[in-house]
Amino acid sequence: MTTAPKSPSIALDVAPSWWRRLSLLLRELYSKPISALGTTITLLFLLAAIFGPLIAPYGENEIIPSEARQPPSSEHWFGTDNLGRDVFSRVILGAREILVLSGLGTLFAVICGTLFGLLTGYRGGWFDEITMRTFDSLLALPALLLALLLLGTVGNSQYSVLIVIIIVYTPIVARVVRSVVLTVKPKGFVEAARLGGETQMYILIHEILPSVWPALSVESALRFSYAIFLVGSLGFLGVGVQPPSPNWGLMVKEARPFASLIPWALFFPAAAISLVVIGVNLLADGMKRILGTTRTSQSRS
Amino acid sequence: MFTQFRQISKKRSILFPVILLSLAILIQACAGNTATPTLPAEGTAHQGVLKVALQPIVQTDPAFISSDPEVIIANSIYDYLVDVTPQNTIAPRLAREWTVSEDGRTYVFTLVENATFHDGTLFKADDVVWTFNRLRDPDVDSPTKDLYSNIEDITATNKFEVTFTLKEPNPFFLYDLSDNHALVLKANSTEPGADFIGTGPFKHVSYSPEDRLVVEANEDYFLPNQPRLEGVEFIFFNDQTAQTEALRSGQVDLVMLLSADLFTTLNDEPGLIPLQAATNSFDVVRLRSDQSPGDDPRLMQAMRLATDRQAIYDLVIQGYGAIGRDTPIGPMYSQYYSEDTPLPERDIEAARQLLADAGYPDGIDFELHTPDTGNRPNLAVVLKDQWSEAGINVEVIVEPESVYYGDDGWLAVDLGITGWGSRPYPQFYLNTMLTCDANWNESHFCDDEFDRLATLAGTTMNENERVEAYNQIQEMLIERGPILVPYFFAQLGAISDKFADFQMKPFPGRSDLSTVHLADQ
Amino acid sequence: MTVIDSGDGTILDIKNLTVAYQQAGEWLEAVREVSLRIQGGETYGLVGESGSGKTSLVLAVMRYLEETGSIRSGEIHLGDLDLLALDDNQLRQVWGKQITLVPQNPQSALNPSLQVGDQLIETLRHNLNLSQEEAERQAVEWLKTVRLPDPGRVAAQYPHQISGGMQQRVMIAMALCTDPQLLILDEPTTDLDVTTQAVILDLIRDLTQEQNTGILYVTHNLGVVAQVCDRVAVMYASELVEDAATQELFSKPLHPYTQGLIDSIPRMGDTKDNIQLRAITGQIPPIGEAPSGCVFRTRCPVAVDICLTRPPLYPAGESRYSRCHRWSDIDQGEISAHQPTPAAIPEPIKPDSGQHPDLKVKELTVHFPLLRSISDWASNRPSSEVRAVNGISFELSPGHTLGLVGESGSGKTTIARTIMGLEEKLSGSIELLEIPLPDKLSRRDLDTLRLLQMVFQNPEEALNPHHTIAETLRRPLIRLSGLSDSEAESRMVELLQAVRLPASYAGRLPGQLSGGEIQRVAIARALASNPELIILDEPVSSLDVSVQATILNLVGELQADLGTSLMFISHDLAIVGYLADQIGVIYLGSLMEITGPDDLFQSPHHPYTEALLSAIPLADPSRKGEPIHLGGEIPNPVDLPSGCPFHTRCPRYLGEICATQAPPWQVAEETGKQIFCHIPLAELSASQENMIAERSKLSN
Repeated sequence: MTTAPKSPSIALDVAPSWWRRLSLLLRELYSKPISALGTTITLLFLLAAIFGPLIAPYGENEIIPSEARQPPSSEHWFGTDNLGRDVFSRVILGAREILVLSGLGTLFAVICGTLFGLLTGYRGGWFDEITMRTFDSLLALPALLLALLLLGTVGNSQYSVLIVIIIVYTPIVARVVRSVVLTVKPKGFVEAARLGGETQMYILIHEILPSVWPALSVESALRFSYAIFLVGSLGFLGVGVQPPSPNWGLMVKEARPFASLIPWALFFPAAAISLVVIGVNLLADGMKRILGTTRTSQSRS
Repeated sequence: MFTQFRQISKKRSILFPVILLSLAILIQACAGNTATPTLPAEGTAHQGVLKVALQPIVQTDPAFISSDPEVIIANSIYDYLVDVTPQNTIAPRLAREWTVSEDGRTYVFTLVENATFHDGTLFKADDVVWTFNRLRDPDVDSPTKDLYSNIEDITATNKFEVTFTLKEPNPFFLYDLSDNHALVLKANSTEPGADFIGTGPFKHVSYSPEDRLVVEANEDYFLPNQPRLEGVEFIFFNDQTAQTEALRSGQVDLVMLLSADLFTTLNDEPGLIPLQAATNSFDVVRLRSDQSPGDDPRLMQAMRLATDRQAIYDLVIQGYGAIGRDTPIGPMYSQYYSEDTPLPERDIEAARQLLADAGYPDGIDFELHTPDTGNRPNLAVVLKDQWSEAGINVEVIVEPESVYYGDDGWLAVDLGITGWGSRPYPQFYLNTMLTCDANWNESHFCDDEFDRLATLAGTTMNENERVEAYNQIQEMLIERGPILVPYFFAQLGAISDKFADFQMKPFPGRSDLSTVHLADQ
Repeated sequence: MTVIDSGDGTILDIKNLTVAYQQAGEWLEAVREVSLRIQGGETYGLVGESGSGKTSLVLAVMRYLEETGSIRSGEIHLGDLDLLALDDNQLRQVWGKQITLVPQNPQSALNPSLQVGDQLIETLRHNLNLSQEEAERQAVEWLKTVRLPDPGRVAAQYPHQISGGMQQRVMIAMALCTDPQLLILDEPTTDLDVTTQAVILDLIRDLTQEQNTGILYVTHNLGVVAQVCDRVAVMYASELVEDAATQELFSKPLHPYTQGLIDSIPRMGDTKDNIQLRAITGQIPPIGEAPSGCVFRTRCPVAVDICLTRPPLYPAGESRYSRCHRWSDIDQGEISAHQPTPAAIPEPIKPDSGQHPDLKVKELTVHFPLLRSISDWASNRPSSEVRAVNGISFELSPGHTLGLVGESGSGKTTIARTIMGLEEKLSGSIELLEIPLPDKLSRRDLDTLRLLQMVFQNPEEALNPHHTIAETLRRPLIRLSGLSDSEAESRMVELLQAVRLPASYAGRLPGQLSGGEIQRVAIARALASNPELIILDEPVSSLDVSVQATILNLVGELQADLGTSLMFISHDLAIVGYLADQIGVIYLGSLMEITGPDDLFQSPHHPYTEALLSAIPLADPSRKGEPIHLGGEIPNPVDLPSGCPFHTRCPRYLGEICATQAPPWQVAEETGKQIFCHIPLAELSASQENMIAERSKLSN
């Protein structure tokens, strides 16, 4: 009923290009302090992941025996750990591993989840029933427990962690996608495409998928943050990661016995996990706000 | 703490998972066992209950116990025939005195006559005969059956006298008799270990697996003025950090088998007495010598040259122990330990050269397997860093202990780190890890000269001959051995200063609790 | 806190109210300097299309604007009470007691987890401080007052258990029971079927006559206004453009917009063959983008230079106002405020009736099985089904238009979807060009698909919001018509021209188009494959009236040009009567009557058609006809009545025979009209003649 005035930044005469949409999204993200904070944190960590080796003053396993267990100083910003490794360098270098691992895992989970979500939502019937019940039973287990069970069976390596993330998050993504598909499927434009003799594949990809994007990108960001946390948690439990990897969770585990002796070695990697998870979460919240309003601004009463 | 926890989850804060992680650490520290069973207070001579933090135990039958927690519990309920002192000498226990025949084959033990089992029966020679026959019975299959395979006969020559006859003379037989498993049970016990009937200073009160085992003072103990405590509670913790925190908070009084890391954090803690016991425990880095590339001894030599022992000593064991010399004969065996053969200084260039000579001019890649316990992962990480300079690139593979030792995988891997416990005499290491037919010859080392020397050292009754053989063995291992022993660590622990007269032994499980008493008494 | 009448009987006094929304730092005015005055006992209609600002005005009166909205200037008094001076606590005292609201959607206003009786009791107790017993007694009284059958039973039911019409009656009871000063009715009947609407309007009219409550009736439907309101204010682009007594406004509108609005509605009896609808050109400007000067000047047929300055609200007679510089010229008949009359749509070339029909539907039956509950399964009860369509037959000749009319739940959309292949039939046959159509869409080849296209009801969902108009139109051209990319490109521009859209729209996204424009694109998409038959499912029902007219004109013109057969589905008899060559009236999945448009208003009628006709609110306040009230609710299609499906509600129920035997198809001799009824046609004619003659006069 209420005529929500159109957002001027979206009201263009032609369909905006992808690049333009991205820059619009960034501008919207930076229009609110909270999402600006989240975006900044996320971008900083991404920069660290990309340029880590250039930034880090020491190697990830560079042991300086004479400088072990030193508090933060101008030489070692985050201090050194039990074995004389620079904590700052390890935190910076750890960004790549944890972000790549959780990023790749999320990406594959999103791809698989989207595939399942599209197919189950669109086809329905027994395929939907069986797949979703299976996913439900997977979802009934806590993610970390499921991860530990899986790691026990597929072996203890980074690839296993990747597989774990995919298996743990595919059902969640699939559910989100499926729910969007279910709302889009009965709409006129999808039926029009069916009447236009389009194949199921074409309808899924060209007609339905674009409507899934907003929810999917928010969900992906959210999943990404949880995947980071999962990788960190697994590292903390010492599974799926081998020393001397600068996995932040493993760093926390290694520094834990020294909590009172060299607290900085525990604090900084733990703070890194918290910060990046919070950052990505805030970013996801911001995206939700923006993509949500974009959708309603397109609707008319 | 838990109310707050719930509030957070209600808000569905994004901080929740983060807080969860941090809380996990705290909760672990605060968790533990709060139920305190009351001990019957009989008599006034015994005072104070010592609470000991231990890893959970599995075995209670002395013939099969192995871990320190299992041994210290059994040791408080049962007695040895002869015991080993913290100074590594033999001391009487149930055997009052003994004589050895000149040929070294006949040992006659005179037993105490005032010891009774916890059920009231008198301790006699028959119990000793039954116990040791059981330990060497192949059908029982105790780990000691090989140790005692040299025994020809055990006879109760008197009500309180036992005679052991050996097939071959054994210079270490008294040490063998004090083996961890050799606790004397009541003859013809039907359920050895399950009924906890021993002669020891403490009597079993209750056992709830995974939680605690409680013992009380044995009023009728045969040694005067022992035990002095009213009782002991062995409380089980899965996690060392939790044990440490429990000690800090006064929930337990004694923690042993501490890592160097945790020990350091406890060092300055008021109210605690740090405990250190020099041991012959060590971590060994061993390379299989029966297959390429380890069959070329230059590889191990290169690894030695690439290793900075002082840095490892400082970083990994933080100076608690001794620097190793790549042989299992450590400074604890002062009579056998030798520093005559110089250990090469760290020399990266020489190491590279050796590698190149051995056919690896561009360096060599290894997987370095290690269990996830103790200092071993840290040792692996430091070695990775040190060796990388010499072109030895290792990928560290940390496995749960059960995986590493399970299915004998540790015997199969090429390059691995293994922990070895302390023994009262060095012959054990030679016979079980380095001779050609050794059971746990993880490096697959086989050298005739070595075997000859080891056999000589293990059989001669001439102490000088033995010292000479051990010297040659140390020289040989430094020159061409398949193992790198970077350090011997001290056993570390801490006890509340409310208690006194606790002496931790190299094998902490063998520490004697019967002499411990409240500090203000 | 009570409100004392301010002497002259004014209940609500709005002075110079301006409401604006903040958008990217700018204030966009949704209501500009509007003044209104509602007297006690007066029903005041507020009419406007979407975007006119009427909702913002209501929200401002309720002091319920959203966060970004704000009252920029003006005053609102409820009696003596300055509404703008109240704080939140005081507002809560006013809401629900002195000002009450009946919303468009009662479903969202009623608490789904409370019995309706309890909700009414709660309202009574909270606002009137009654005891529980007294509140219970009054609640039942009120349910009786709003003419709910068996009020005791209804009181014990939950909102989802009663129909939309009944829910709305409960809402009215809740709104009136506190004896409010001001009752706001916000499109209260828009979501209801026409027969239900008639009942509710009757109810509102009767109840408000007895009370001294001032009523603000917000609606877009001029017919409704004419039926219930004493006075009408017309809003356009944030401004109040005309304010007059209902009688005067309809007999002589003094603003070109009001005139255009009245002209846009198809009158009963109008058909595309004799008249084109006089639609208002152009479209409503979005908020904040109205032209300077007179906001209507860009669409006004009589705009002159002076219209570049903003007209004041001219007093145009006694308590009558018009915001038009030229109101007196219009008043004196010197200029005509009518939009120019377009030429009648030329008669399309309709091939001989001897030719084979395009579409032949025979005994079509569509049932939807319901999921069996576990108890059904356990007791071995047969699974029940929704009997949406029950043995419907019709033919559609080439180049002709078939109109299907029915209320919600009648099965009209199911028929369309089954023909299209979106649902599967249970039995019967559908032939397209004499070839039986396979049930499943996947079994139909591209050639078949090409021949059949559809325009969907909801413009919001008609086009993929992520595809440009060009992408949307190109696809069927390539896929169905087999054109190359470049051919498709040029054909796409032609299609846009055909539906009167500029070629520049090709690059736009649907979100940048108005509802009417989207429906044009949807029509263009349907035309892209050059189909033999297009089914239009309520294509204009969610559009504003002035836009409706242009779409209806467009459909008529396109058919005349292309000779495509059309099947037009609507709930609105007037619209179907305007467009169709043949009309089918459907009730509960069965056809009740088949008639030509010229004969639609000629007796005899099927009793159901008769009720429908009588229920349409006419945009003429002088003709407040008594609608025929249909008793009860539409039966559940799971449990179809036996015999004549309409017998449970039929005002002309004969007896036994209607309930047991299916009626015969009777054909009227003069008109060829087919009627599905037991009552002899002569008898029907005799009793219906007067009423219809009366009402059909209005169409002229």
